[in-house]
Amino acid sequence: MSIRRMGVLLSKEFLYGSRNYILVFSIVGPIIISIIISLIFGTWLAEKPRLGILDEGRSQLVSMFDDLNSIDNLEYNTISDMKRAVEIGAVDIGIVIPSGFDNSVMRGERTEIKAFIWGESMAKSRTIIGVTIANTVRELTGQKSPIEIETITLGDKASIPWNDRLLPFIVLMAVFLGGLMLPSTSVATEKEKRTIQALIVTPTSIEDIFLAKGILGFILSFFMGILILVLNKAFGTEPILLIIVLALGAVMAAELGMLLGVYAKDFTTIFAIWKSAGIILFAPAIIYLFPQIPEWIGKIFPTYYVTQPIVELSQKGGGWADIATNTFILIAIDVALIFILLFTLRKKQYTATGQQ
Amino acid sequence: MNIHIISILVSKDLSLFFRKRAIIILTFVGLIFYLVIYFVMPSSVDENLKIGLYSPVSLPVFTQIDEEGLEISPVESEEMLKEAVLDGSYVVGISIPVDVAEKLSSNQKPRVNLYFTPDAPQEIKDAMEVVVRELAYMQTGQPLAFDVSEEILGQDMTGTLIPPRDRLRPLLAIFIIMMEILGLSNLISEEIERRTAQALLVTPTTVTDIFIAKSISGIGLAFVQAVLIMAIIGGMNRQPLIILVSLLLGAALATGVSFLISARARDFMSVLAWSFPILIILIIPSFTVMFPGAITGWVKIIPSYYLVDTVHRAANFGSGWGDVWVNLLILFGFTAAIFWAGIYILRRKFQ
Repeated sequence: MSIRRMGVLLSKEFLYGSRNYILVFSIVGPIIISIIISLIFGTWLAEKPRLGILDEGRSQLVSMFDDLNSIDNLEYNTISDMKRAVEIGAVDIGIVIPSGFDNSVMRGERTEIKAFIWGESMAKSRTIIGVTIANTVRELTGQKSPIEIETITLGDKASIPWNDRLLPFIVLMAVFLGGLMLPSTSVATEKEKRTIQALIVTPTSIEDIFLAKGILGFILSFFMGILILVLNKAFGTEPILLIIVLALGAVMAAELGMLLGVYAKDFTTIFAIWKSAGIILFAPAIIYLFPQIPEWIGKIFPTYYVTQPIVELSQKGGGWADIATNTFILIAIDVALIFILLFTLRKKQYTATGQQ
Repeated sequence: MNIHIISILVSKDLSLFFRKRAIIILTFVGLIFYLVIYFVMPSSVDENLKIGLYSPVSLPVFTQIDEEGLEISPVESEEMLKEAVLDGSYVVGISIPVDVAEKLSSNQKPRVNLYFTPDAPQEIKDAMEVVVRELAYMQTGQPLAFDVSEEILGQDMTGTLIPPRDRLRPLLAIFIIMMEILGLSNLISEEIERRTAQALLVTPTTVTDIFIAKSISGIGLAFVQAVLIMAIIGGMNRQPLIILVSLLLGAALATGVSFLISARARDFMSVLAWSFPILIILIIPSFTVMFPGAITGWVKIIPSYYLVDTVHRAANFGSGWGDVWVNLLILFGFTAAIFWAGIYILRRKFQ
C-alpha cells in the first residue's frame, strides 16, 4: 500500500467525485429530509396558535406576548402586511393594538382591539389566542388571578416527541447515504468503464483504490452526521464523544460501501440492494420510533451500535459509562469489517484482465 | 402522421419502460408509499379543546360557558377524571376544590388542579392554565376593560376544516405526475444515446410520429397513475372533471419537462442529476397547501403552483370552473410553452 498513490487517487475522487450526482444527493437528501421532518412535526402537526401583532403605539403587551409559551407571535409594520398574513394563514389571528391602549386599560377606560381572523383557523386556536390576550391585558392592568393553579402530569411513562424519535433515522440516513453509496457507486462505475483494470496495471494496488474511495465516503459520512446534528441542535453535553461515535459510524458506512462495491456490478444493482437491504441498516431507527418494541430486537442489527450511543449522548444527556459497551462493540464491528473487506478483495483477485 | 406506427412506438415505449427495474421499483414503491402516508395521516380535525371538569360545587361559568373551541364535560369524581385524561378522552382535567366558593368569597386563592397526560406539550399546558384562569376571572365577575371587534378573512371554515390527510392530495398528485419525469427522460435519453431514434428515422417513421408516440406514452403513464391515486384517496369525489383536466395538463407539463431533460441527459445517472432539482422546484408549491403561510407570493412563478392550487380548491373546497379557469388557463400556457420548447430542443437533438 502506498500513501502517495492513495493520496493521488483520493484527490482524483475529490476532483471528479464532486461532480457526481450521488455526492450531491448524499448532501442535499438528508438536509431536505431533516427540514421536511421539522416542518411536519414542528409546524404542521404542532397546533400552537399564531398571533400577528400590529402595535400602533408602544404597548408593553408586545413584549409580554413574547414571553408566553402558549402562542407564537409575529409582528407586522403595516395593516396590509398583517391582513395578507392572516389571509394566507401565516397567523391565525392578527390584532391591531391602538396607540395609547395601555394607558386606556390601566385607567379603566373602554377601548378596542381590532382582530382579523383567518377563516381556516381552528376554533381552539381562536379560543386560546382570545383568552391569552384577555389574560395578558389583565396582567398589564395589575389584576390578580383569583385562583392558584397546580399542573399535575399523570402516569410515569416518559414521552418522546416525534421530532426526537425521528432523529436517529435522519442521522443514520445522513451517515449511511453518502458513506455507503459513494464508495460503492464509485467502484461500480470504475468496473463498468473498466478503468479499474487500467489502474491495476500501474503500481497502484486494489487496496489503494478501495481505500481512497472509502476515505472519501468516510469524510462525507462524518461531515453529514455532524451537519445533521447541528441542524437539529442535538449535540448534547458530550460533543467530543458524539464526534467519536459519528466517526466510528462513518467508518462502518464506508466499509459497507466498499464491500458493496466489491460485489455489485453496476449502479442499478446497488440501487436495488439499497432499496431492499436498506431496512437492515435502518431497523434500529425504526424500532426507536416505536418505544413499545423491545430494545433487544434492535441489538441484532449492526447499526444499533451507532444509533444507541448517538441517542444516549444527544437526547438523554448520557456519558461514556452509558455508551462504553456499545462503542466497544461498534469498534469491534468496524475492525471485523476491515478484515472481511481485505479477505473479499483478495478472494476476488482483481487483475488487469478483469476480476476472477 | 401514421397511426399504426405511432401505436407500435407507444407499445414499444411502454414495454421498455416496464423493463427498467429501478424505474419500476421507484414507481410501485412510490405509489404504495404515497397511499400509506395518506392513510396514516389524521382523517379529521379536532377543532375543540375537550376538557373534563370535576367540580363538587356549582360553578356556572365553567359548566355553562358557550365559547367556540371549548367542550367542557362534567366528570363525577377526581379518580374518574384522572382515568379519562390518561385514556385520552380529555386534553386536560380540571379539578375544583370543595371549598372554592368560601375561599373566593373571603378573597383567598383556592388551588385548582390541572391533570395532563405525560405527552401533553408544554404549550398546551400553558394554554390550559390561561383558559382556566380566564374562566376564574369570569366566574368572579371581573370584567375586561376592552372590546374586540372581529373580522373573518376568507371563508369561515369553523366546523368544516380540511383534515391534514386531505391537504396532502395536491402533493400526492404532483409527486406522482412529476416522478414520471424520471422514467420518460430516461427512456428518451437512452434512445438518443443508443441512436435508436436516428435508426427509426430511416424507416417511414417521421419525427412527428416519434414525438406523438412519446407524448402519448409520457402523458398516459403520468395521467393514469395520478387518476388512480386520486380516485383511491377520494380526490375525485368533488369536481372530477376539473381534477381530470388539471391532471392531464400536469401530465403534459411533466412530459414537456422530460423532453427538455432528455435533450441534456446522457445516462440514468445524469437523468437523476437533472430531474431531482427540477422535481424539488416543481414540488415546492404543494407546501403552500400543507403549510399555509410558509411560502409567499413568489411561488406563483412555478408552473406547478397552478396545478396544486386547482387540485386543492376543486378537491377540498369543491370550487367550480368559474373559480379555477384562470389557474387552468395559466397552467395550459406554461404547459404549452414548456412542451413546445421540449419538442424544439429534442427535435434539434434528433436531427
